[in-house]
Amino acid sequence: MLNMWRKTSAWLMMAVLFAFLLLVGCAPGAGTEETDSEGTEEESSSEGSSESGESGEVSGELEIQYFVGGYGDSWWKEVIADFQEEYPDVSITEHAGPNINEEMRSRWVSDDPPDVVYIDGAGSSETQMVEDGQLMNLTEWLSGVELEDGSALGESFIVDPAKYDGEIYSLPLVFDTWGTWYDNAWFEENNWDVPKDFPSFMDTMSQIKEDEGIEPFVTTGQYPYYFLRGMLYPAFGAAGGDELLNDVITGAEGAWTSEPVLNVMKKVEQMQQEGMIDSGFGALNHTQSQMNFLLHDNAFIPVGFWLPNEMANDTPEDFEYGFIPSPMQDEGEPAAIVPDLRPLAIAEKAENPAAAKAFVEFVFTKEYAKSFSEHTGAIMNLQGVDLASSEEVPSFLIDANEMINDPEQVQIYQKPHPMSSELETPISNSLVSLMLGNITAEEFVEEAEQAAAEYRSSLE
Amino acid sequence: MVQSKRQRNLFLAFCLVPTFLLFAVFTLYPLFNGLYYSFFKWSGASSLAEFVGFDNYRRLFSDDIIPSTIWHDYFLVITKVFGIMILSTFFAVALTQMKIKEAPFYRIVFFFPNIMSVVVIGILWMFIYNPSLGLVNSGLELIGLESWTRPWLGSEDWALPSLVLPSVWAGIGLFMLMLMGGISNISKSYYEAAEIDGATEWQQFWKVTLPLIWPQIKISILYIIITTLNGSFIIVQVMTKGGPNNSTHVMGSYLYEQAFVKYNFGYGATIGVMILILSLVTVLIMQFLMRREKVEY
Repeated sequence: MLNMWRKTSAWLMMAVLFAFLLLVGCAPGAGTEETDSEGTEEESSSEGSSESGESGEVSGELEIQYFVGGYGDSWWKEVIADFQEEYPDVSITEHAGPNINEEMRSRWVSDDPPDVVYIDGAGSSETQMVEDGQLMNLTEWLSGVELEDGSALGESFIVDPAKYDGEIYSLPLVFDTWGTWYDNAWFEENNWDVPKDFPSFMDTMSQIKEDEGIEPFVTTGQYPYYFLRGMLYPAFGAAGGDELLNDVITGAEGAWTSEPVLNVMKKVEQMQQEGMIDSGFGALNHTQSQMNFLLHDNAFIPVGFWLPNEMANDTPEDFEYGFIPSPMQDEGEPAAIVPDLRPLAIAEKAENPAAAKAFVEFVFTKEYAKSFSEHTGAIMNLQGVDLASSEEVPSFLIDANEMINDPEQVQIYQKPHPMSSELETPISNSLVSLMLGNITAEEFVEEAEQAAAEYRSSLE
Repeated sequence: MVQSKRQRNLFLAFCLVPTFLLFAVFTLYPLFNGLYYSFFKWSGASSLAEFVGFDNYRRLFSDDIIPSTIWHDYFLVITKVFGIMILSTFFAVALTQMKIKEAPFYRIVFFFPNIMSVVVIGILWMFIYNPSLGLVNSGLELIGLESWTRPWLGSEDWALPSLVLPSVWAGIGLFMLMLMGGISNISKSYYEAAEIDGATEWQQFWKVTLPLIWPQIKISILYIIITTLNGSFIIVQVMTKGGPNNSTHVMGSYLYEQAFVKYNFGYGATIGVMILILSLVTVLIMQFLMRREKVEY
C-alpha cells in the first residue's frame, strides 16, 4: 500500500514538473511565437495579393476594420459594395461592430492587422497607434492622390490631417464637431434666447432655471471628456487660438495654469456655483445624460453631431434639435468650434497595401461625402460639398455647415491631434470634482498642471 | 476485487492530468504571464514591448491613486463582511428556527439576486439611485426627508458607500443558504437540553448555534473577502467607472483603466500582481485570526 502511494506521488510530481517546464518554456516567448504562427497562416491565404499589389493591380484579400457607433453602418455598406463592383478581383473582409476595437486588438498585438482601419469609438486611440508604429506613413503617397476633378486630395480637406512630427499617418474622414444642443421647439415656445456668448448663455440658463425649476446644463460624469472636448476645447480656442489649444493638448509646461485657461475654468466654476450644472451629472453615463436632455430635465448638453442619429429611437416627436457652437467665449467674440476628426488609416503591416490605398482613394470623393451626410447626419471632411441640395440631409446639419463656412460667425480651431488618454484621464477626474463644486478653479488648474507634468515625464 | 497498481495509477492519471493541464493553461499560465508583463512598458495594443525592470513597481509606490484604491477595496471588504454575515445569519436563523410557514418562499426571494448577473444588478441599482427618477430619492421625498436626497453615485463622498448596498443585497442569498445548511445539521437535542437548563433564545444562538456553524461562517467570510478583492471591479465598472474623480476606484477597476483605457498594460499587470499579493496576505491573516478549535458537543 505504502509503496503504491509512493508511486502515485512520484507520478504527480512528474506531472507537476512537466507542466512547469511547459510554462517556463511558454511564458517569455509567448507573444512572438503566436505572432509567427498566425502571421504565416494569413500570409499563405493572401500571398497572391501582395505580389500582385506591388505590380500595381488591385486584387487579393482586403480586410477593413470599422467601428459602428452613432453613425450606423449603412454608409460603409454602400461604399464597400461600390468598391467591390469597381474592383471585382478583390475579396473584401469586413470587421465591423460597436466592439470591433476590442475584438481586433489581438490581431494588432500579434502584428497581423487588417489593411484599412477607421479609427473611432471606445478602445481606439490614434495617438497610441502612431506611438506604437502601427500606422503607415502616408505623407508621400498623399501628395500624389487626386480627386475626380483633378484637385489634390491633400488640399481638399476641411481640416488637415493630424501631423506627428510633421508626418501624416491617417486621413481625417469624418468631420465631426462638438457643440451645444438645445430643443429649438421648446425654446421657441418659451421665448428663450439662444445663447451667443458666455454672458447670454448664463442669462438664458438663469431664465430657464426660473421658468422650469430645473438645472439647465447636463453632461455625462462617467465620460468627462464630453465636457472637456465639447465645452473646454472651443473655449480654449476662443481664448487663445490654435496655439493655446495645442499647448493644452500636448501638456506644455505652464499651459494649464496660464491666465486664459484659468479664466475659462472660472466660467465653469461660475456655472457650478450658480447651480446651472445638473448636480446628479457625476453618475450619469452618456445615454442617461442624453435621455435627461430629451425629457426636458435639462436644456443644454454638449455632444457631437451624432446625437440625433444616436437618440433617434428615443426622441419625442415634437423635439427639434438645435445646435450651436458651445457658447463659452467672451461677449463680442466669434463663436469657436474645434473639429473632432475620425480618421481612416492603413496599417503599417498591411498585407495588401495596394488594395488598401485603392480603397482609401476610392472613399474620398464628393459623391460619398454627400451620401455620408445623408446616411449619418455628420459631415465628411471634404471641402465644397453641396449639402443644401439634398433633401435627406437633416436641417441642423445644413445650418451648421453654413455656420462653419462663415468665418464672421464661427472660427474653426484645430487641435494638433487628440489628447492622449494618459493626460485626458487625470484632467477629466479633476474636472468632475470642479463641476461638483468640490474644488476651485485655481485648484483645478494646479491639478491639471501636475497631470501635464506627469504626462510629459512619461513620454521621456 | 483488487485493482492492480497499474490500473490504479492509470485511473489517477486519468483524473488528475487533464485537470492539471487545464489548470496550468488557464490559471497558472496567465498568472505567470501577468507577472512577466509587469516588467515591461507595453501598450497592450501592439507587439512593441520594452523591458523596463522594476520601473512599473517604482511607479506603483509613487502613484497617488493606488493607496485610495486599496482603501476603497478594504472599505468594501469590511462593510460587505459585516453586512452580509449579519443579515444572512439573521435570515438563516429566522428561516430555520422560527418555524415560519413561508420559509421556502423567502428562501427563494433572498436567493434571487444570486442568479442575476452582477452587471444586471449594477444597472438595476443605477436606476434605483438615479437622482431624479430613482427609488431612493423619491422614497426619501415621500417620507419628508427631502434634505437627505442627493445624487448618490454622482457625489464624491457618497458614491462609495452607495456601492455597499447592492453588493450586500446581491451577496446575502448564497451565504444564507450555506448557513442554513449548517444550522439544519445541528441536532435538535442540543436546543432541548439548553432550554431545560434555562437558556434564552439569545443564549442558545450564542452558545449553541454560532459555535456549531463557525466553519461555515469562516468559509463565508473568506469567500466574501476573496470575491470582493477580485470581483468588486464589476460593480464599480458598471455603476461608476471609478468616478467621480477616482472616488470609487478599486484596485481592479484602476487596473482596467490603466491597461485598457490609458494603454499602460505593463503597469496594469503590476497592479494585478499587487492585488494577488494583497489577497493572499489578507486571506492568510484572516485564517490566522479566525482559527478556533472545532467545537463538538
